[in-house]
Amino acid sequence: MVGPSSSGPTPGDALPGGASGSADGAASASSASSASPTFAPSASTSSASASALPGPRSITPTTVKDLRDAVTAGTVLIRGTGTATTWGAPVRDPRTTVSLTGMDRILDHRPADMTVYVQGGIRLDVLQAELARHGQWLPYDPARSEATVGGLLATGDAGPRRLGYGSLRELVIGATMVFPDGAIAKSGGHVIKNVAGYDLAKLCHGSLGTLGVVAELVLRVHPLPQTSRTVMVRDVDTAAAQRLTWALTRSATEPTAIEWCEPEQVLAVRFDGTSAGAAARAAAARTLLSGSLAELDHEESESFWFSHAARVIAEPGDTVLRAATRPGVDPALVRALAAWAEQAGVKAMLTCSPATGGYTVRVTGGDAKAHAELVKNWRASVEAVGGFVMLRRRRPGVDAMVESWGRAPGAVEVMRRVKGNFDPENRFAPGRFAPWF
Amino acid sequence: MDRERALRAVLADVTAACGPSLRVLAGAAERRAYETDALTAHRVLPGLVLLPDNREQVAAIVRACLAQGVPYVARGAGTGLSGGALPAESGVVIGLARLNRILEVDPDRRIAIVEPGVTNQAISAAAGEFDLYYAPDPSSQVVCTIGGNVAENSGGAHCLKYGFTSHHVLAVEAVLPDGSVAVLGSDDIEAPCYDAPGYDLRGVFVGAEGTCGVATRIAVRLLRTPEVVRTLVADFPDVASAGDTVSAVIAAGIVPAAIEMMDNLAIRACEDAVHAGYDRQAAASLIIELDGPGQECAELFDEVSALCSAHGCTRLRIAADAAERAAIWAGRKAAFAAMGRLSPEFLLQDGVVPRTRLAEALTGIARLAADAGLRVANVFHAGDGNLHPLVLYRAADGEEPDAERLAADIAELCVALGGSLSGEHGIGVDKACSMPKMFSPADLAAMDRLRAAFDPSGLCNPGKVFPTPALCGEARAGAYQPHPLEETGKIQRW
Repeated sequence: MVGPSSSGPTPGDALPGGASGSADGAASASSASSASPTFAPSASTSSASASALPGPRSITPTTVKDLRDAVTAGTVLIRGTGTATTWGAPVRDPRTTVSLTGMDRILDHRPADMTVYVQGGIRLDVLQAELARHGQWLPYDPARSEATVGGLLATGDAGPRRLGYGSLRELVIGATMVFPDGAIAKSGGHVIKNVAGYDLAKLCHGSLGTLGVVAELVLRVHPLPQTSRTVMVRDVDTAAAQRLTWALTRSATEPTAIEWCEPEQVLAVRFDGTSAGAAARAAAARTLLSGSLAELDHEESESFWFSHAARVIAEPGDTVLRAATRPGVDPALVRALAAWAEQAGVKAMLTCSPATGGYTVRVTGGDAKAHAELVKNWRASVEAVGGFVMLRRRRPGVDAMVESWGRAPGAVEVMRRVKGNFDPENRFAPGRFAPWF
Repeated sequence: MDRERALRAVLADVTAACGPSLRVLAGAAERRAYETDALTAHRVLPGLVLLPDNREQVAAIVRACLAQGVPYVARGAGTGLSGGALPAESGVVIGLARLNRILEVDPDRRIAIVEPGVTNQAISAAAGEFDLYYAPDPSSQVVCTIGGNVAENSGGAHCLKYGFTSHHVLAVEAVLPDGSVAVLGSDDIEAPCYDAPGYDLRGVFVGAEGTCGVATRIAVRLLRTPEVVRTLVADFPDVASAGDTVSAVIAAGIVPAAIEMMDNLAIRACEDAVHAGYDRQAAASLIIELDGPGQECAELFDEVSALCSAHGCTRLRIAADAAERAAIWAGRKAAFAAMGRLSPEFLLQDGVVPRTRLAEALTGIARLAADAGLRVANVFHAGDGNLHPLVLYRAADGEEPDAERLAADIAELCVALGGSLSGEHGIGVDKACSMPKMFSPADLAAMDRLRAAFDPSGLCNPGKVFPTPALCGEARAGAYQPHPLEETGKIQRW
């Protein structure tokens, strides 16, 4: 659970300087109190953590209606279990932090329909445990397994198995959202095949809490694979990572994850399926791969991927970058990362998903200036090949020296208009996409 | 008339901007060919048809329409079943058939970059040399275009396992309704990435039925051609046993590539038309197809066969080879054309129910049909609950109004059972008036707000998806009339 107003709305390392926005904070506080008499009752009925004092408050609603009442005035920061509060640019002066952890129930699981209807605040690991009792799962493995499903949608996060199963955007078939004007709107439904109306849930994918709150979701679930096996290759340099990845994507072995780690130079390839089938495909893959090989059985595989996930979860004081590029391990980008890290005197640990073009970089050591230099320099390298680099976390002080987002995508004008149409007063997570909007 | 003057101004603008390589169809007879798509009951004569050859021309057309306040609609092959490409009254049609280049097939990244007028099947044909294919397979895939698939978020018989267009589109370059060109889902359409930051505008654009802009280049994912495909037909003495079998397969944790069901009326029509070897006495038949790696496919296929037998299957026919598999599918896909043997006219619906409520839906449809005194044949994608009821009637006997009412009642019954108005055909003009049965005013208002962010002027394919007084105040449209390509057997309806 979220501690009662313990932390204020955002962790310290996300805020450029707590005092700087106090005038705005006071302004939004007074407008909130005059415009929203429903605040007090909704806070008192919630389970925890409303501050009686003027200033930031935290509310944990348990119903969609209470949630709606909590977000209709003042600046709002939506929060799940707090695993991604530092993703993107720091939010300016949130008046109200709304925690979704009070909306954490499974509303309806229909195993025979392969759908599950949940509240947005349910933790992914809790949901997976319940689905597993029915031989099912959500084929989705972000590193932050304790994050809420709504938060995972809003962050657009995905794990290694994105290659085999897609991301959460492919698994959400219906959603109920609360928008800043208090409108409670749904799109999609409870059936896995449905093209009626616009898909508003897609809009929330990657929105980082700037458009609306995902109050409820309907998800398509899948049968759990019988088994999972992992082939590990050691001493894989950048060129080999690229070559082996293409050998796999050109083969019929159908891995569900391919990950490459630097500086360890390990390539890990995962196969899911029936016991005999996964074994056969892993064996076929071994004939394609060269170098120092090892194969992990189901248990070893689970434990390896659990520790692999920890690579991208950083400690306070680290800076974490996420790059999205066209698929592949770009040798120039990997070289540039190493060179810039050396020049800045920091350590950069890379976790790469070569078949989908994702790079997560964890930067440790050195001061804020060194971290900022690395971000700036490597971002320029990535943008030169048409990619993006965003900050998921940064060492305190970095924000003063480098933006959390780099070059804006070509469609940023539409994003601005979407934001303006849904949140004309810019109350939801203001500043999150700065400097884009 | 103002509109005529505006159309003349559009024409002058675009010819000045594009030169002679822009093809212009201004004569009434030429425009007449664009007055309808495959929902042939709806016909509106466009004021001008323009056939651009490249992205700049598309942008010039959109900007000219914007400047003159003229509505426009983009059109691919015109095979849409919900009237999505129906022109606005005296509006502009932007025909994209000439933007039909496959720009790149990248077998390492498993990505193809194509123009919107490329047919669905041409992508798979181009990818075939690398043992790759484009997965969504609407039944009109021989002629329907990827641009139209993007607009409608098209599915197909195999989307139970492989998903819809939305799952296979990485990025879209589009001319937006403000006349700008933007890439949605990536920065550079030639270097598409999987997880671009920001709102998932590509996800919104796919399935927006052409109301958010005009796609000019599309980056799609390609999949490995399955190593093995196995297909069977299982006959059952009643619909309930067939339905139970489907449930048992799903409960066993198997996701077939396709599970199709036909009821007796549909089976008889198909068998009489195509002689695909179906049993005319069967109350219901399932077609189940599995694909994937050889070993797994073989294991699971045995399991599925056993489940069919355990649930009272009276005859199990396993396709011995590709030719027999093709014959089974030809029979299934001929269902629509075959209905002509049973009835001179019919209406097609596309509702979806949760799979576990299929039996209720079929009972409900039978009751509605009996009340209306009409026959309904059922063919459907049983794995995902997508029904395709065919309402049979004789216009000559004055049955058309009853048939239209029955068709709408069936779609709305699906919603009442917790389903959807449309599984794959889209809302278009066909079901726009039923949208309030499925969505609240707040839902529709939120969607409209999103639409306005893309198209503040409201000129991009107006009158679709959302109910309008002009549309919904009028009587529902008439009977299905076959698309010329259906009459020649080139395309099917689902």
